[in-house]
Amino acid sequence: MLEVKDVKKKFVRYTKDKKKEEFYADKGISFQAKEGTIVGILGPNGAGKTTLLRMIGGILEPTDGSIIIDKLNYDKNEIEIKKKIAYLSGNTKIYQSISGYELLKMCGELYDVPKSEIEGRISKISKELEMESFLHNRISNLSTGQTQRVNIARCLVHDPKYYILDEATSGLDIISSQVILDFIKKEKENGKIILYSTHYMEEAENICDYVIMIHKGLVIKEGTPEDIKKATKTTNLRDAFFTLIGGVENEK
Amino acid sequence: MKSNIFKILKKELRETIRDKKSLMMMLLMPFIIPAFAIGMSFFYEAMSDTPIENYNKLGFAYEVTDAEKLIFEELQIEPVYDNVDSLKEQYEKGEINLYITREDKTYTLHGDYDESTQMADALAMSYLEAYKVYLQSEYLVEQEINPLEVIDILRVQEDITMKKNPFVEMITQECFMFLIMALAMAAVYTTTDSIAGEKEKGTLETLLTFPVKSKDIILGKFLSISISSIVAGLLSIVLMLGSLFYLDGAFTIYEDANIIPSFQTICYMIFMVVIYSFFISGLCIAVASKTKTYKEAQSALTPVSFIAFIPSLIATLMGLKTTTVFSLIPFLNISLLFNDMIAGNINLINLALGTFSSLIFIVIVLSIIIKQYKSEKVLFSN
Repeated sequence: MLEVKDVKKKFVRYTKDKKKEEFYADKGISFQAKEGTIVGILGPNGAGKTTLLRMIGGILEPTDGSIIIDKLNYDKNEIEIKKKIAYLSGNTKIYQSISGYELLKMCGELYDVPKSEIEGRISKISKELEMESFLHNRISNLSTGQTQRVNIARCLVHDPKYYILDEATSGLDIISSQVILDFIKKEKENGKIILYSTHYMEEAENICDYVIMIHKGLVIKEGTPEDIKKATKTTNLRDAFFTLIGGVENEK
Repeated sequence: MKSNIFKILKKELRETIRDKKSLMMMLLMPFIIPAFAIGMSFFYEAMSDTPIENYNKLGFAYEVTDAEKLIFEELQIEPVYDNVDSLKEQYEKGEINLYITREDKTYTLHGDYDESTQMADALAMSYLEAYKVYLQSEYLVEQEINPLEVIDILRVQEDITMKKNPFVEMITQECFMFLIMALAMAAVYTTTDSIAGEKEKGTLETLLTFPVKSKDIILGKFLSISISSIVAGLLSIVLMLGSLFYLDGAFTIYEDANIIPSFQTICYMIFMVVIYSFFISGLCIAVASKTKTYKEAQSALTPVSFIAFIPSLIATLMGLKTTTVFSLIPFLNISLLFNDMIAGNINLINLALGTFSSLIFIVIVLSIIIKQYKSEKVLFSN
């Protein structure tokens, strides 16, 4: 189980007149995620979703609060936790000078997958994701869709329990997006915990079991999509979000 | 379980080998060494073996005696007799190498300071010296004194053997300069790709999600950069030795000189290349660690490739010698140790102190970078 307790993240930025200014990207976020669920982290750009997921993925350290994964925390068990996680973001780039096969093998080694199992896993994953025809081609020579499949495949090599997917479908065409959505649904059936961040509310409504709406670094609402719609007396999550923030005009 | 440092190292080396730009920079500089060494040797040989026809045309703005004409024949001087203005014009046109005027007993040599005039000057001085001896002898004979008793009143014998051939020293020093440049350039280009490239290409985020500590990432990258630099250094040594073997038999200027380094010097050379590569790699990572793009990294690292020579240059210009104190100063100590090695004066204590202080410097630099590598400021430009 994943537990996020009152997590805050402070950054420093410089204003136009070169003055140092501190600001919180996340101002105290708490939630839990249980096995076999897809938790949607929803909010507009700049809401604090990426920062939150980077903290859960161990890329950033929280300024305050704690992240507990299977009763382990980053202070003492960084490597053990990272072995349980697969992190895939729309911004995640993979090494272009190597082939998909080499990338998967490298990931297997880095995640300490037993040497005897690596080949078998690569073969299974490439079959499942229909990557066999381009598995040995350099990633720089692959199409966007093929690259995204390799990116998904690298997340599967170590058979993680947690998936952190940050705007994973952003900028992808309809077919490539569907590959990711199918993959998420399948992994949910396998009992995995998936944190799925997006600003596409309709997409989240279709696949998420539980939704956490974030705005300006704070959780403004959480629950199942149905509960949120009921509570806000709306018919979709997009309207629910605008109802919660007081409308677009208020935001402007 | 394989150490994560070696897993990162493997990844980095694979990328270096597949990156044409880094690979080219790693291999290109060493290949300049033989080309440069052979080219410079041709130049030095031409310099040391200038035919007399290139500087023996001397102008005389006065009448010469038969005795002087005999000296000209002896010294192979081709005299041109004319007035001063005409000789000046001929000199400016390059038709003569120098011209001489005389006023009473004073002879003046005219010309500009260039190579052929310098050599013509030496020739003219020989003529005047010989003519002076002739006049002195004439005078002594007139005074009924045996000139040999006066002129040969003392005899000088030279027993000076040339221990160091200046051409050998020059060519070795130049080869070493290229060797340092080769390993510095290899480190600079690999660091640019490994540190800033990873950020610019967006793969750093992926790397940070792997179950690898930042310490292992930095050490893996450091080793990879060092290995690239060492490969460039070793290749430079091989090509340098090959060039020196070739030069030894192909050019007369290196005759009777010991141009091939001893086995012991080669071993020191390899040791120094390894230490210097570690040192320069640590320095490059330190400089590049805060850069976020190739452009930024290149701007920040270009001075490093030049800085690599500055201590060596200062040490040579100031005539600094390796002392215990200097051996403890990073950067300067390596330059001094290289200079000692060229001169064949290797002091093991200074070498040990230099190595120790360089390793301490590397450890401090890497510790700081590992600490900084966790900072968001280093990781994300936004």
